[in-house]
Amino acid sequence: MRYLPSSPVEDRALLDTIGVQRAEELLVGIPENLRLKRPLDLPPQASEQEVTWEMLRMANRNTRFCAQFLGAGAYDHFVPAAIDAMVSRQEWFTAYTPYQPEISQGTLQHIFEYQTLICDLTGLEVTNASLYDGGTACVEAALMAVRVQKKRNTVLVSRGIHPFYRRVLATNFAPHDDLKLVEVGLKDGVTDLADLQAKLGPDVAAVLVGYPNFLGAAEDLTALAGPIHAAGALLVSVTQEALAFGWLEAPGKAGADMACGEAMSFGNKPNFGGPFLGFLAVKDAHKREIPGRVVGQTKDLDGRTGYVLTLTAREQHIRRDKATSNICSNQGLVALRANIFLQLAGPEGLKGLAEQNAAKAQYLRSRLLELPDMEPVPEVPFFNEFILRYTGDMAILQETCLKESLLPGLDLGRFYPEYQGCILWCATELHSRQMIESLVEILARVPSVVA
Amino acid sequence: MFLRQRESLSFDRSVPGKRGMDLPKLDVPPARDTRPAHLKRSGFDALPELSEVEVIRHFTRLSKWNYGVDDGIYPLGSCTMKHNPRLNEKVAGLPGFTDTHPMAPEALIQGDLELLYTLQDWLKEITGLPGVTLQPSAGAAGELTGVMLIRAYHVSKGAKRRVILIPDSGHGTNPATAAMAGYEVVELPSQPDGMIAFDDVTDPVNGKVRKGLRTLVSELGTEIAGAMITNPNTVGVFEYRFKEISDLLHSVGALVYMDGANMNALVGVARPGDFGVDVMHLNLHKTFSTPHGGGGPGAGPVCCGEQLLPFLPVPVVVRNTVKVGEGEVPKHTYRWDWDCPQSIGKVHTFYGNFGILVRAMTYCLSHGSDGLREATLRAIVNANYIRARLKGAYALHIDSPSLHEVVFSDTLQAKHDVHTLDIAKRLIDHGYHPPTIYFPLIVPGALMIEPTESEDKGELDAFCDTMLAIAKEVETDPEALHQAPTLAPLRRMDETTAARKPILRWTKA
Repeated sequence: MRYLPSSPVEDRALLDTIGVQRAEELLVGIPENLRLKRPLDLPPQASEQEVTWEMLRMANRNTRFCAQFLGAGAYDHFVPAAIDAMVSRQEWFTAYTPYQPEISQGTLQHIFEYQTLICDLTGLEVTNASLYDGGTACVEAALMAVRVQKKRNTVLVSRGIHPFYRRVLATNFAPHDDLKLVEVGLKDGVTDLADLQAKLGPDVAAVLVGYPNFLGAAEDLTALAGPIHAAGALLVSVTQEALAFGWLEAPGKAGADMACGEAMSFGNKPNFGGPFLGFLAVKDAHKREIPGRVVGQTKDLDGRTGYVLTLTAREQHIRRDKATSNICSNQGLVALRANIFLQLAGPEGLKGLAEQNAAKAQYLRSRLLELPDMEPVPEVPFFNEFILRYTGDMAILQETCLKESLLPGLDLGRFYPEYQGCILWCATELHSRQMIESLVEILARVPSVVA
Repeated sequence: MFLRQRESLSFDRSVPGKRGMDLPKLDVPPARDTRPAHLKRSGFDALPELSEVEVIRHFTRLSKWNYGVDDGIYPLGSCTMKHNPRLNEKVAGLPGFTDTHPMAPEALIQGDLELLYTLQDWLKEITGLPGVTLQPSAGAAGELTGVMLIRAYHVSKGAKRRVILIPDSGHGTNPATAAMAGYEVVELPSQPDGMIAFDDVTDPVNGKVRKGLRTLVSELGTEIAGAMITNPNTVGVFEYRFKEISDLLHSVGALVYMDGANMNALVGVARPGDFGVDVMHLNLHKTFSTPHGGGGPGAGPVCCGEQLLPFLPVPVVVRNTVKVGEGEVPKHTYRWDWDCPQSIGKVHTFYGNFGILVRAMTYCLSHGSDGLREATLRAIVNANYIRARLKGAYALHIDSPSLHEVVFSDTLQAKHDVHTLDIAKRLIDHGYHPPTIYFPLIVPGALMIEPTESEDKGELDAFCDTMLAIAKEVETDPEALHQAPTLAPLRRMDETTAARKPILRWTKA
């Protein structure tokens, strides 16, 4: 076995020092009747070459596309070469959590810079070293809101939030008999203000709103903040496409009290949904209630600036069952990818990239609307995703696109019965004009369903 | 050992006009501005302006202030810092995997689904448990999923029950998890040998009596939803009466959760499903060598018994066998099953940290049945070798037979006013990452050392020689230990001020 440093001579020396004949004697602490008496029923060890072949076989079993027009929470963006090169350094990817600051300043300073950038993007003051993904970030935000807003036990969740995020929220709220999750409906693709106002009340701790929401719409946080704050609730923005922060105002500046969501778009491929990058940013007043690891700046004994994990009195290894969350391992290396991505992009790069995304999505929309079977739904400001109603046969559209190695947008009917027949389209900087033209050309060949 | 020069924050080096990313030429009309004025992005305060060269140098220099597994032994107990094969990284980066979209139709992602199904099969055989979900992103997320399964099970029987029992030697995540799943935590005391106490324990210091497992089970009975037990426990010792413990809990209908953080001691040697465990998590970033990434991403799959299958998170990956002629290799197709009415729901936005699961699958295929067992035995040999060499110089607070890690105490050094923290910091001066310190809480001044199977005799000897030299130095020059580290880029940090007056981000001067 190539990963084990075994050899007859050294193994003997190790066992002699310990004072046993065979390694199996060291299992004495495991009761004899609880030990496995047979080899595991699994294939034997394999060489690097054999393993490569087997893994390539599986990878090749997936279908490759020349273009995918699917976003819905996992976005395909260009990944600069510097990112893979940097995170391949063993000092980054093999290191453990920076519990010993003197020997982990690299990771700690990176997290401090990452925290700075997430605060900058969201317009808020405090964030942590990362959370698992968009869905669990919503959970942490909602539970934190309930902690901060003592005596308020209800969290309102806009139906415009990613259906999978809402599913994760429901799973995590189920064990808490004292907490309530209530859905707020949609009107014209955005959170229904009338429904929201009807559901706001003295029990509501927070309202979670998509920004942009799952249907691509840039919800007007500022307009929503008015009634939400008047009712004493917190406004939590939920962003599933963080590149939108280059196009839309920072949620903290638009009225949100907390911002959470998914930042996989900064330097990652869709990767079948993970590892992604959950984030949560809050106001300074709430910093001692934030879940997860937080890095702070301090000095060493000689007065030199350095970084440490801090505010640990909130965390599980100190507070145990009174901790703000159980999270410890997070998405550190994905946060590093985001940090490098954002530092490469800078303010101009990020804005420029976001503008390109908006331009491509607008162009895709205008071209699709030239097709006879595509109909507009009421247009709301969007970033790089939007919906259109399709009056043709969805199955034939799917099939035709796939045959041409194009992955079309998401059939929304599966998640929103009220949007049956609608498709959620996405375009990013990766979609050349030519790709968009060939999509339109192929769709034009789908036979129209005659009523 | 370390880069000596200082590396400032990138924000302090930003120069207007520089950028490290060029954009492609826009080949469609520029975006119309449809945003309401107040939703138009106003500006950024921190995003730095730097060229690619500067960004690469920045992150290269920062990396040199870190210690990685390739630098040498990384003896963090309970963390299983083993070698991270480069093959695993390479495979996880195959475009066939990285380019797949989680919302793509099943027919197009057969390779991904096959991988998930196959990895589940391996984990089932390794743990002896018939159910698996790969969704949880880390150990703590796995714990939460597991306890929610326990809750759903009891709810289906009529009542969720009230209490989760957790040994005082357990990881902090266990009680935090139980609370997040809506349970009250009742602590199980440890005996002097580190094992869970069946009988009541009298505290030698304050004379207080703490109720043992038997008393708690008879008093709380059907109020107990389950127990969360780390095995091997955090002292690196197998709970010798595990079967009796689980039988006792089962007798009142409670379920047994096993924290699998220390599974590196058991793979191929003993299976939790065979000794009474109902549900457990694995840390793929520990036992299965997916890297730690400086704090993540990890993966915390949950394995469970038959009775918990209906409650597993959705979607569940299902295999269909396509009929083939006699003597031919059967062909399989895979699909998602979302139709699980009793499921607890989703615990990850999509299907878990897929890229990490790819690495774990690669690890499994490389090791195979024989390699997995061999790795376990070698990990146990290595820990016992360190134990044999350091015993005497450092106190073994608990003398039970060690498996994959060994826990010393600082009681011998404390006589010279040198403590675990000083020893840990002195190791940094010698170029080593320190072991886990002050955990488990039941060992005073704990130094928890887990070498893993990756270390050869030379590396183990060099580490042990250093530990012995430090033990000598404690007697001759304790002040050198109080001052340590002096050879690292920084000396000890002022953590009190960091917490009292937190500076959590850079702001423009």
